[in-house]
Order: sequence, then structure tokens, then C-alpha cells
Amino acid sequence: MDRTNKFLDVKNIHLSFDNKDLEIIILRNLNLKVKEGDFVAITGASGSGKTSLLRAICGLETPNEGQIILDNSIIFNKEVSIPTEKRNIGLVIQEKVLFPHMNTRQNIEFGISKSKNRSELSSDIMKKLKIQKLSEKYPHQLSGGESQRVALARSIVMRPKLLLLDEPFSGLDTELKTTIYPAIKTILEENNITCLMVTHDLEEVKALADKLLKLESGKLLEI
Amino acid sequence: MFNINKLSIWHSFIFLVATIFLIPILIIGGSIFLGFSDNFYHLYENLLFEYSFNSIALVFGVSCLVTIIGVTTAWLVTFFNFSGKNFFQWALILPLAVPPYLLAYVFTEFFDYSGTANNFLRSLLSTESDIVFFPNIRTIYGAIAIFSFTLYPYVYMVSRVALMNIQPSLIEASKLLGRNSISTFFYLLIPIIRPAIIAGVSLVAMETLSDFGAVQHFAIPTFTTGIFRTWTGLYDLNTALQLSTILIIVIFCFFAIEKNSRNKIRYDNSTTSKNSYKPIHLKKFQNVAAFLVCLIPVFIGFFLPVLELINWSIQVENIFSPKAAIAASNTLYVSVIATILICFITLITNFTVRSFGMSQLINDILSLGYAVPGLILAVGITKMFTSLDSLLINFNTFITGSILGLILAYIIKTYAISNNVLNSAYTSIPISLDESAKTLGTEKISLLKTIHIPMLKTGLITAFLLVIAELIKELPATLILRPFNFDTLAVSVYLLASEERMFEAAFPGLMIIIFGLIPIYFLNKLILRENG
Repeated sequence: MDRTNKFLDVKNIHLSFDNKDLEIIILRNLNLKVKEGDFVAITGASGSGKTSLLRAICGLETPNEGQIILDNSIIFNKEVSIPTEKRNIGLVIQEKVLFPHMNTRQNIEFGISKSKNRSELSSDIMKKLKIQKLSEKYPHQLSGGESQRVALARSIVMRPKLLLLDEPFSGLDTELKTTIYPAIKTILEENNITCLMVTHDLEEVKALADKLLKLESGKLLEI
Repeated sequence: MFNINKLSIWHSFIFLVATIFLIPILIIGGSIFLGFSDNFYHLYENLLFEYSFNSIALVFGVSCLVTIIGVTTAWLVTFFNFSGKNFFQWALILPLAVPPYLLAYVFTEFFDYSGTANNFLRSLLSTESDIVFFPNIRTIYGAIAIFSFTLYPYVYMVSRVALMNIQPSLIEASKLLGRNSISTFFYLLIPIIRPAIIAGVSLVAMETLSDFGAVQHFAIPTFTTGIFRTWTGLYDLNTALQLSTILIIVIFCFFAIEKNSRNKIRYDNSTTSKNSYKPIHLKKFQNVAAFLVCLIPVFIGFFLPVLELINWSIQVENIFSPKAAIAASNTLYVSVIATILICFITLITNFTVRSFGMSQLINDILSLGYAVPGLILAVGITKMFTSLDSLLINFNTFITGSILGLILAYIIKTYAISNNVLNSAYTSIPISLDESAKTLGTEKISLLKTIHIPMLKTGLITAFLLVIAELIKELPATLILRPFNFDTLAVSVYLLASEERMFEAAFPGLMIIIFGLIPIYFLNKLILRENG
């Protein structure tokens, strides 16, 4: 496989928030390069800016300075800011984000509603993540682990260029984790999905990641 | 130790109140079993279809329009930043202060051949004086517009609160799945807040079906005007009651839908957190479009009628006429007495329900009166009072035509409003406080006086303001039940408008709006507090 060295290229990103005339710096001239198809894990202390980095990459936060390039296209710089919905980046977070009025299948098909074979795609991903029995269930009928797998399926089924995971498996029990890690790894590899994951769990890093970075004082260090 | 005497005082009070509240409604419903007169068959064969068709068309048209206006404006002020947003956040509620009948009177004159709108356009375009730019407003379409622009705030308020309570991460998830703001609005936000929209629209449907003043002025044959004509034209009270029963059944359905939807909103909110979603800044065309979408309903529903009423008022030589002053004092007199009684009854009922662990069903039953149109309630009370008069004839006492009937109608009609406020205020007082007071030997009456009432002060004031604002603009029940020569502001406006003396009706109309603005101010504060 021809792997681009700078599939995701985050250059000199500076992100800060104003709080009562006080500038709180979250990310300071941060740089990050991720190869196509790679699975990179980021660790770091609470409040170090890991989540903010992921939100800036997918467009939910607007950095003050810097440039973000994805698959040779500028998705953010001083002049350009591609809206979140047009970046084709998936994000799975720890919080429950399933749409409460839709069942599992409808949730998964939300992002691929225009696709002709959406039913096959959703059935396929549900099978791979072992959630096919949940297809008619609503979010309030699902356990924490089941909800997370549905959220993951919903993001993966869109075949995003980049998948961002923000501690998505922290609520899952160890037994379940060991079952689904290989499945996730296989799906991501099969679809050549590049992945950036924030985690505190070193077992998770071992099972899934190709590379581990540590975010400290607004900068990324390779471990 | 169980004390049957003390228990019975509180329970007797509730039983007495429930009996008085339910008798007029039961009288109306009971009319169905008294046989149908020739008048009923005449109405059934010739007019009932027209009444039904117009009422359904009105409810359908108004429901669609209030949904579009209320939900769109709520979405804009919640999720976007645009010019005038801070003003529109609270100004969009202002039309609540304008009763539909008042807007109907204003619009009839405003768009009339010689009205302000046509004169303005003629002078602007320097055209001939016989050109008419606006179609006749006195049609069902005009009525739909009138109701929609005065009642949309019901949908706006519930939609706004529901939208503010949506978890921001759900909206972010939708965007991450490739949906833009408009697609997110239609496929995510509207389905999630659907129970809130249904609750708001059901309230609007109830208000529309209950209205008498606007449809009467527009001469649209609906159920309420039909009931009024059957009673005052055919002098057939029983047939009027039978028609009322049909309407009440329909309105109770909306009442049940509204209540059911409200329970669903509570369930939804329990799983969501407060919205901290960053509003999107709209630029250029989008900014202007959002500004206009919010301006149009506020302008038509509030500023236009207020400006026109001011315009008419200053053209009247003596706006502070003795008649207007008497109408204002009558309005305040009867509204204040009724409101104090409503707050007292609601307080005692809620205290009893809480203290004796009774079911909230009693409050639901007492709130049924809200769903009964004022006109129909007046018919039921009149029938009840005439029956009582026949019993009191030996004592040479008559209560029909006294102020008692009017106050009773007001109490039954607005108990639900007062109860909504006090009931939720009561939930914020922990039951452990009552238990602590009991262990300190506090009697029930003392618990109410020294602990509950001081803690419920804000709730009581809010209930008082909300109820009095509703009563000041009440028309149909007042029109029928007021004592002879006892005009309120609403009745004055109605009578003057029906004689086409709009300029003289303007000042009492303005006073109704001013009184109506007081609770809106508090409602706004409440919504802003909810928003943090």
C-alpha cells in the first residue's frame, strides 16, 4: 500500500480561550504528522488539551493560528475553514451521543442516508461489531458498552478519511474490550481508515496503536 | 394518632372545591342525555358541517403556521448569532399580551378600504383613492393569520426551552456525520423536540377552538359562534349545551395530548444536559434573512397593533373618559378578587395533597376547567345558577346575573395556570422540611403559615401575575356572566368594536396589552434564568 507520510499534517496549531480577559492557552504551536492508515494513540494528563486537539482537527473548535491538511487538502488555515460536516472526519467520544429518537439501525444509517446500499452497509458493520441483535433497539435500551459500539459503527460506516477516538472504550469491561479490539483493528485496516485515539489505557494502546504520543504543556512528544 | 376531625377539614375543602368546579362541566355533558330538540336536528342538518369544517380548517391552518413561526424563530435565536438576536430572544414572546380578538379588530380597520395600510400605500404611490391594495381580511384565512401571529409564542417558548436542553454533543455528532445546520434541524432537532412542539400546538389548538371574539368579529361560523347564536338567537340553552359537549370532547382530546406530550418532555430532559453549543455567526444574506424571519411575527403580532392603537387613541379627544375609567376599575376589581381566591384555593389544595400524600389526580381534575372554552363555561354556570335560584326562590335571593358567576368562571378557567406554578414551586420544598417541623410539634396550619407560604412567596406572586393577566383580557365568559351594566376593559373593547367605534376602543385595548406585558416580563426572566 502506498502510504502518504503526511496524510494528516497539523502545523503550528495555537488554540486558546478567553476567560474574563484572561487567555487560557490549550495548544501552543502544536505539530503532528500521521501517515495514511496509521493508528496513533495520544496520551497525557487531564486538561493537557488532548480532546481540544481532536475537536480542532474535526472543526468543532477553531484554532487561533496554524494549518491543518488532510489528504493533501487544506481543511483549516487563516483563510480557509472547511465546515465540520464537509471534512469527512469521524469522532467517537466517551459521552453518549446516539440520537434518542432513532433505533440502532437508523442511528448507523444517519450519515449514509443518500447511499443506495445503506442497508447492506449498516448490516455489515453491525455484524462485524457484533451488534446485529441490537438493530431495532433504541439508545435508552442499550448498555454503555453497546452504545459505544453503535457510535463506533455509525462513524466507521461513513468510511471517514480520518477517525478520531476520544477514550471511547473507557466505559467497557475488560472482557468486551479484548473481544472488540481485534474486530476494530480489522475493520480499520480493511477500509484503510487512519485513526487518532486519545486514551489513558496502555493495554488499549498495545492492542490497537502503531505509535504513542504524549501531549505535555501543549506539545506532542513521541514515546 | 389519626385525627379524623382535622383530616376532614382539609379534605372537605378539596371536596367542596371539586364539586363546585365539576358541576358546570357535568351539567354541560349531562345535556346529551336530555334528548335532542328540533333546533338540534336543524343545526345537525344545516349548520353542524359548516361549524365543524370551519373549526377544523381554522385549527389546521393555525397549527401549521404557529409551528413554522414558533419553531423556526426558536431555532434561529438558540443556535445562531445575528443582528438583533438579544432583542428577539424576549421580544418574540410579546404577542402573548395581545388577545386574538384585539388583533382582529385592529387588522379589520388597518387593512380596510380607508384604513392605514391602504392610505399609506396610496400616498406612497400617489395613486387614485379607489384602489384597494389588500384583500378582505374578514375571511377564514385572515382569522388563521390573526390566531397564528398572536398564539405562536406558545410554540416558540416550549420549542426554545426544548432546544436549549438538547445535548450539544448530539448536534456535533450530526455535523460529524455530514449533516449541515438545516439538515440537522429537520432530521435531528425537530424529531427530538417533537413532544414540546405537540404540547405547544395543542395549547394553540385549544385557544383557537375556544375563541369567540375574533371569529365573531370576522363572522366565521364556528362551534363557539354557533353555541352563542343557538343560545342568544334561538333561545335554546339545552341545544347550546349539547353543541358545547361536542366541542369540549374535542378540546379534552387536545388537553390529553398536551399533557401526555409534556410528560415526554420531562422524560427527555432527564437524560440531557444544558446546552453550551456555540451559536454560529450568520453573515450577509443569512444575517438579514434571520433578522426578517424574527422581525415579521413580532411586528405583526405586537408592534403593528400597538402602534395602530396608539395612533387611534391620540385621535380621540377624551381618551380618559369616565366610562373607560369605570371599565378599568371593574376589570381590576373583579380580576383581583378572583385571582386572590384562585391563589388561595390552589395553595390549600396543593398543601392538602402534599400533607396527606394524596394523588395529583385531584389537581388534574380541578385543572380540567382550563380546557373548557369561556363561553361554554359561562353557559354551564348560568344553568347551574338558574337551578340554584329555583331552590333559593323562597329566600327571595337570586345569584344569576350576580358577580358570583363571573368570579366562579374565572376561578375554574384559570386554576390550571395557578396550579402549574404553585405545584412546581412546591416540588422545590423538600418533604424532609415538613417532617422536621412535625417532629418539633408544628401543627398543619402553622406549617403552612410559617414555613410553606414564606418559601412559596415567589411562586405565589408569579401565579398571581399570570392569572390576573389572563383574566384582564378574558372576553366570552365575562360578556355573558357580567352583572347588568358592568363593563370590563375586554367587554368595552368588544362592544365598541362591534359598533365600529374603533378609535374609542383603542385606549381600553392598549390598557389590556399593558397589563398583559407584566407577566411576560417575568416569563422572560424565567426563561433567561433557565438558560443560565
